[in-house]
Amino acid sequence: MVNKQTVSAVFAALADPTRRRILERLATGGEARATALARPFRISLPAISRHLRVLEGARLIERRRKGRLHLIRARAAGLAEARRWMAHYAAGWDAAFDALDELLHKDREKGKRE
Amino acid sequence: MKSEIKMTGNRLQITRVFDAPRAVVFAYWTRTEKLQQWSGCKDATKVEIEADLRAGGSFTQRMWIAGAGEYTFTGKYEEITEPEKIVYTANMGPATIRITIEFFEEGRRTRVVLTQEGFPDPKMCQIVSQGFSESFEKLDELLAKHSA
Repeated sequence: MVNKQTVSAVFAALADPTRRRILERLATGGEARATALARPFRISLPAISRHLRVLEGARLIERRRKGRLHLIRARAAGLAEARRWMAHYAAGWDAAFDALDELLHKDREKGKRE
Repeated sequence: MKSEIKMTGNRLQITRVFDAPRAVVFAYWTRTEKLQQWSGCKDATKVEIEADLRAGGSFTQRMWIAGAGEYTFTGKYEEITEPEKIVYTANMGPATIRITIEFFEEGRRTRVVLTQEGFPDPKMCQIVSQGFSESFEKLDELLAKHSA
């Protein structure tokens, strides 16, 4: 079952474009240091650190130490949970659209008979 | 799954083509007696909607869900441009979600593009999750393709 708090944190984390770009960068480029992640953005290292903390709180990234280096990587499972949750909504809308489709179809048939 | 699904960041977009003229489809979103015939969750036995259908107007949607009881949420219309576009926000749990619906003419058919931003407290859909499991599997396949 999906954890409520995690899901809210994940979507809150994803609502910010900078954090989405950080995640994309980690997903495509693999592990990186915070300084390397900060480079493409015109923001300070403390600002990047704040974004990283939000992503970490949502369990979308994780850190590990390699000697003196702190490396950051994406946690695929965190995103999968968010996608699953979105899928939930998509399925709900799709079912409602099926019902609407049926109503429109009935209207059309009625129109033909009259 | 007859709808086309797109997911980016915290945004979900669902596109569906309905075999009816745009004015007819639009009316199903903007006349409460029509809206409540289809807009509830799959397992809802009854849906009641009260809506002040104009920009700034608010609405209340109440659903009765088999075996789970009642679920009510409120919201506010931000824009209603007949017959092209509707934007509203809905208060669900601790979060506010924003929904934009656009209606495009395609001959005698209508393409509806619904964009949802923000995702609320899962309470409502936990209630109706049983009905979703089937479409879930299909969706998982679709998602696998999108995320590849």
